[in-house]
Amino acid sequence: MNIPSLKKRLQLSRFFSGEKTIVTPITLNQRRVFILPTHRGLNFALLTALLLLIAFVYNNNLIYLLAFLLSSVFFITILHTYRSLAGLVLQEGQAKAVFAGEAAGFDIHINNPLTIDRQYLHIVLEEGQYLSVKALSNVTVTLYSATQKRGWHTAGTVTLSSTYPLGLFRAWSPIRFNLKTLVYPKPSALELPFPEVPSEQAQQGFSLKEGDEFHGLKSYEPGDPIKHIYWKAFAKGQGLFSKQFGGENSAQIWLDYNYAPGHDTEERLSQMCRWVIDAERLGLAFGFSLPGLKLPPDSGLLHTRKCLEALALF
Amino acid sequence: MNIAQNKNILIFLLASIGLIVFPHIANIPISFFIFFYFLLGWRFISIWKPTWLPNKLLVFLLTALGIALYYSEFQGIFGRDAGTRLFITALGLKLMEIKTGRDLYLITYLAFIVAASQFLYEQSLLMGAYILFVSCVLLATLVTINSSKPEALVALKTAGLIIVQSLPMAVILFVFVPRLEAPKWALFNEPRQTKMGLPDSMEPGSISDLGMSDELVFRVKFKGALPPPRQRYWRGPVLSYTDGKKWSQVSNMRFGRYLDKLVLKGQPYQYTLLMEPQNRPWVFALDMPAEFSQTLRRNAHYQLITQENPNIRAEYSLTSYTDYNTGYLTRTELKDTTQLPSPPSSKIDQLVKQLHGFDSPQEQFIQQLLNHFRKEDFHYTLTPPLMEENPIETFLFETRRGFCSHYAAAFVYLMRAAHIPARVVTGYQGGELNQTGDFLEIRQADAHAWAEVWLEHKGWVRFDPTAAIAPERIERGIDTDQLVPGGAISYAPTSAAAQEALNWLKQTRQLWSTIDYKWQRWVINYDNKNQASFLSSLGIADIKTMVYWMVGTIAAITALLSWILLYQKQKTIDPIMRTYNRFCKKLAKRGLIRGNSEGAKDFAARANQTLPEHASTINHITALFIKLRYGKNARPEDLALFNRRVGKFKI
Repeated sequence: MNIPSLKKRLQLSRFFSGEKTIVTPITLNQRRVFILPTHRGLNFALLTALLLLIAFVYNNNLIYLLAFLLSSVFFITILHTYRSLAGLVLQEGQAKAVFAGEAAGFDIHINNPLTIDRQYLHIVLEEGQYLSVKALSNVTVTLYSATQKRGWHTAGTVTLSSTYPLGLFRAWSPIRFNLKTLVYPKPSALELPFPEVPSEQAQQGFSLKEGDEFHGLKSYEPGDPIKHIYWKAFAKGQGLFSKQFGGENSAQIWLDYNYAPGHDTEERLSQMCRWVIDAERLGLAFGFSLPGLKLPPDSGLLHTRKCLEALALF
Repeated sequence: MNIAQNKNILIFLLASIGLIVFPHIANIPISFFIFFYFLLGWRFISIWKPTWLPNKLLVFLLTALGIALYYSEFQGIFGRDAGTRLFITALGLKLMEIKTGRDLYLITYLAFIVAASQFLYEQSLLMGAYILFVSCVLLATLVTINSSKPEALVALKTAGLIIVQSLPMAVILFVFVPRLEAPKWALFNEPRQTKMGLPDSMEPGSISDLGMSDELVFRVKFKGALPPPRQRYWRGPVLSYTDGKKWSQVSNMRFGRYLDKLVLKGQPYQYTLLMEPQNRPWVFALDMPAEFSQTLRRNAHYQLITQENPNIRAEYSLTSYTDYNTGYLTRTELKDTTQLPSPPSSKIDQLVKQLHGFDSPQEQFIQQLLNHFRKEDFHYTLTPPLMEENPIETFLFETRRGFCSHYAAAFVYLMRAAHIPARVVTGYQGGELNQTGDFLEIRQADAHAWAEVWLEHKGWVRFDPTAAIAPERIERGIDTDQLVPGGAISYAPTSAAAQEALNWLKQTRQLWSTIDYKWQRWVINYDNKNQASFLSSLGIADIKTMVYWMVGTIAAITALLSWILLYQKQKTIDPIMRTYNRFCKKLAKRGLIRGNSEGAKDFAARANQTLPEHASTINHITALFIKLRYGKNARPEDLALFNRRVGKFKI
């Protein structure tokens, strides 16, 4: 790990948005944890000052002693608050793709390699949540970030903070993980029928509708619809097979961008997304066509995901 | 969940507040006390019955009641009593309105102020310990507010730990932070309950029972050897004027500047004297005080008077000489100290004549008189009969029972009858030596009266007629242990077992009073003078060195604490993993960094490619690691071997 130069260290942005994105895992150390007194801490300092004043006016040594004790407590709390974060190891986890408008969830694994319990940690991405990490244990939290547009979505800075033990100081560590996930277009709310693609394409061997006619068996490949699995053979212990339907006469769908209704690109993509989801739900095989991309008809999760990714990044 | 409604936190907070206010029972009017605990009890019940909490109107009415109460006992806005009441009332009322975490903090801070106000009333060691404990509970309340699961015991432990870690720094600050002398604002001069000191006059005939208390008056610590018991006379007011019954001080002290030069001889005694608060500005120095601080002055009767408020416990550094000569007698002194209300009666004249008062040297006459007291049927008692009329004659010729005042008065009267200048000196005599602390404790029961006679070439000379009649009173002092329960003086122990028990009691008491003395001297009375002398004994003379010292020690403590708090973590991980991490670190120096998901075997294989010359060692270490961490039958010897191999591994 390279150590930043002094100039970089003094940049104000470090305090709020953390250092540059770094490959995880991140161990919280003195370079990443910042501490400042809270409002309550400042009031505590005020209380100490008031006690000192009383001690001065009355020449009372025991009140002096109490005031000094409280100021030492104030001071030592800095160390304790720092300790409530120091040594934690944070690592980003998997992030699932979402549709635009949904909140993207990012898993963060927090590992506590030390023998002290971590109390009342506050972790914030866009909304905060509280958690505790017992000594020598792991906790995974899911943080959500709202998405608006399709494409790559990058979540901002994750801030882990704690005011343990006395609430006089807040230690925080802004961490810029590489929190990235793909956002698919928002599926259109309209339930339109699948597009009717002109006959030139049908002549090429693809029909509009998938046939119900049983065509044959092929060995199962990941991504084949579950309802096409030939369970009888599986029950007999002959392995997994998928039923194939269609053939010359069976109908197939061809989802084409050019035939998607909509006023602009986004609306069209949204409609395309809707079709892809519907087709997947019905377990249909479908071809997929965007300007500059053509995917032959297929079915299954893998195919669907390829289509959705293409839509997201179009 | 709102932390302000968390039961555990509230119970904790309310309990600690109940503890804090409780010792104030002696300091605030009972109406405040009841009002406060009424509110506290109400709030306590409301933890389980939230609907019982007062609504806005009721809170307003309670506040009005609190203000009314405050005004009914109005004592001004500033000052100790008013301030304490104000904070306690505010604390009670705030309890009824806990809505957010902020309110909890406000209450805790108020409680700290109330805790501190306790010290304005009492500064004993026990009170200090109590407030320390209470502060710990208050901090624990803050810990519960900032914990996920408020647990009383864990919070107390954490708070206790923080306090223990803070104490050294607090002590350093206490020692080094300069004490400024606060201006004596009249506003803050509180009337204190002062103990009854020595009276400024005496009337022996009118007292039939000398009430004696074991209340402490002052303590003395000598730098070197202690003066012998028969020299331990602590000089107080000098009573020259008499009306035949009552003896009092003369008001005219202007002759002071005509006094002869005081000649001091023999060994000087250096000591520090810690006066308890009293209502008169008298400082009871060892006869004869020679050197004293600026704040003291010696009046024409050689008595030390302080110019500061005697209500505050104060410490003085003094030097006295027990051997001295006051020189010639001034005219005023002669007039004052031969004064008699009326010519002595014929009976008195006859007694003086019989003791050769008129025809022998003065000192011979004094010896004759003391012998007279000793040989005739005179008794020393603390419960003499009343002598309303002609107390001197009644005492000398009829009752012949009395305590020091009777003897001193009669002695001085007879001297004056023989035209010898004489006066009564009051003060304290003796004192109990605290063996553990090696200091003298002078209590109220040690109050004494003796006589001073002016002799040619010798000046004022002390004579103690009480010593003639009851020498053990002077040599041993009054045994206050036995005096207090029984009321009578006893010099002889009763039985061996009882004596042993008494000794044990005495030792315990002495130990306690030693601790108390040190507490008073080093903590309560650590003012700018004491601080300066203590710091200069450490070799710290100026403020710059002091700041260096303070910053230096605080930095050292911080470093130590940081190490304790933050460094221990490495020790605590699994020992096998720790050693393996060390091994990985050594390899990392050669650019071999183990990936997150890289197994030990894969890593070893990769390392072997880069460092073929170390392959066997790397393989052995890896095999040991796998055996220890994942194997079924790892033995303790393997761990030792593993540690050794990693320790010796060098690349």
